[in-house]
Amino acid sequence: MSTDATTMTAEGVWAVEEGEIRSPGIIHVVMLALFTGIGIVVGTFGSLAIPIGFVSAFWPGQAVQSIGSIWFGWWGGIAAGLFPLISNSLSGSAPLPVSIAYLPANILQGMIAGYAFRRLKAHPALVHGRDWSIWILWGALVPNAIGAAWGSTMLVAFGLVTQAAQLITFLGWFVGNSIPTIILGSIILKFVSPLVMRSNAFVKKWWA
Amino acid sequence: MAAITPSEPVSTSTQEIHTKKMWKTLVGHVPISSPFYQFHPVTRLYLFVFLGVVPLFIFVPEINFLLVLVSMALMLWGRADLRGLRIYAPMVVTVAIFMFTVVILAPGKDPTYTPLHMSLITIYYQPVFFTFAAYWRLMAMLSGTILYFSTNRERDMLVALRAVRLPFVASYVIGLSIRAAGMFMEDFRTIREAEQARGLDTKAMRISDQVKLYVMYLVPLFSIALRRAEEISNALFARGYTVTGRVKGGGQRRDYIRSLYAIRTRDVIAIVILISLFVGAGISNLFFNVFVITDSPLNIYLRGVLNIP
Repeated sequence: MSTDATTMTAEGVWAVEEGEIRSPGIIHVVMLALFTGIGIVVGTFGSLAIPIGFVSAFWPGQAVQSIGSIWFGWWGGIAAGLFPLISNSLSGSAPLPVSIAYLPANILQGMIAGYAFRRLKAHPALVHGRDWSIWILWGALVPNAIGAAWGSTMLVAFGLVTQAAQLITFLGWFVGNSIPTIILGSIILKFVSPLVMRSNAFVKKWWA
Repeated sequence: MAAITPSEPVSTSTQEIHTKKMWKTLVGHVPISSPFYQFHPVTRLYLFVFLGVVPLFIFVPEINFLLVLVSMALMLWGRADLRGLRIYAPMVVTVAIFMFTVVILAPGKDPTYTPLHMSLITIYYQPVFFTFAAYWRLMAMLSGTILYFSTNRERDMLVALRAVRLPFVASYVIGLSIRAAGMFMEDFRTIREAEQARGLDTKAMRISDQVKLYVMYLVPLFSIALRRAEEISNALFARGYTVTGRVKGGGQRRDYIRSLYAIRTRDVIAIVILISLFVGAGISNLFFNVFVITDSPLNIYLRGVLNIP
């Protein structure tokens, strides 16, 4: 009989049971590809929805980045770095060289949430208030602050915005990513996490 | 649908059919008789890298504008469906609005800037021209990217990545992820149609409810993705695929899809020309300070008119 995922304790979600063997396999590679595909669609639509220059006033792609690393560890982190390369190109929001420059921040935007949930033992289905606060702080605000700082710095480095315009770009980026992350990400975590936690693709450690 | 290799003999009647048939590319449709398909996918990938990256070495808006025209001309030459480009129109306009608004509101405090007093506001020549040049650099890079995605399929991208010897797992993930994006859109349509068949009228809903509904679509979509991951991984396992691409017992798995395409003389010539132009532009800019903003004829003309040293 399987345990209902939402009734599991947060510690229990991440604990590897005695005799439980976890190793990376093809399912993780396939899930990486499918999750990247989801990210491409969500990221492309986000960029096209309300574009304000190089940033979008509504980019739910960051929610997918954070969620990916919470559910799939480093596989989600790789997806977080990979899908903006394609979605930015498809939507025309950033050319390839700029997207490549965003890569470290995109991986961080994903992995910070995954690290925080594992380190602080938060429940992916956001069962308690503590889980919510960890999600909002480490899944939305901190990653987006880092991503917006890095991204706006790269735009200055590429000569696409002036130094003086960096603060405005940072604020547009931070707000445009944080709000949809909190709204969309919370709903997905709340309703989809129980399904993911029961699947073979769920990653308790970093790779399996 | 079977691949049409450049070397395949094409009869007159087959040609007629080919002019009507279209490939579905990543963001549009292209006739299968498009001249682009006379080149190997890796040549098209080199063209993408050239057009998408070379503007980084060029900060002369006139040249970047010409590169935009080159990309558009190539799209016309390749008979790409230009109607698909309408989705980029808001982006092109809003990027300009954003960039110029920001530079007018926050021009910086350099005392060497030349103020230009308009009727209501004061703008500064140097940051505004910098933004103008940056806008055309961005447009040049984007048009190269749009050209590639408008004229290439997921399959072409996969062949090109394998031709440059990207590891199997990396090319497989990229190929499957792009295909998954299409499947994801198809699932999205199916769910919406199922709801409409049950009488859901989204037009009668408030915007907040529509947003909530849109978010709730993601729940079944993720469920489908999870199930699909299980199915695909089982299918791959059953066919003996491994993450490394090696066959159990030694050796590499034969790359069937890549074997369908041959690199011909025209590909080699095109790749050599593209690499030479790319390296030439890079060396000229980085070591000889060519293609900088002060080389712009428009900049020189405006500075002369406005008496800016």
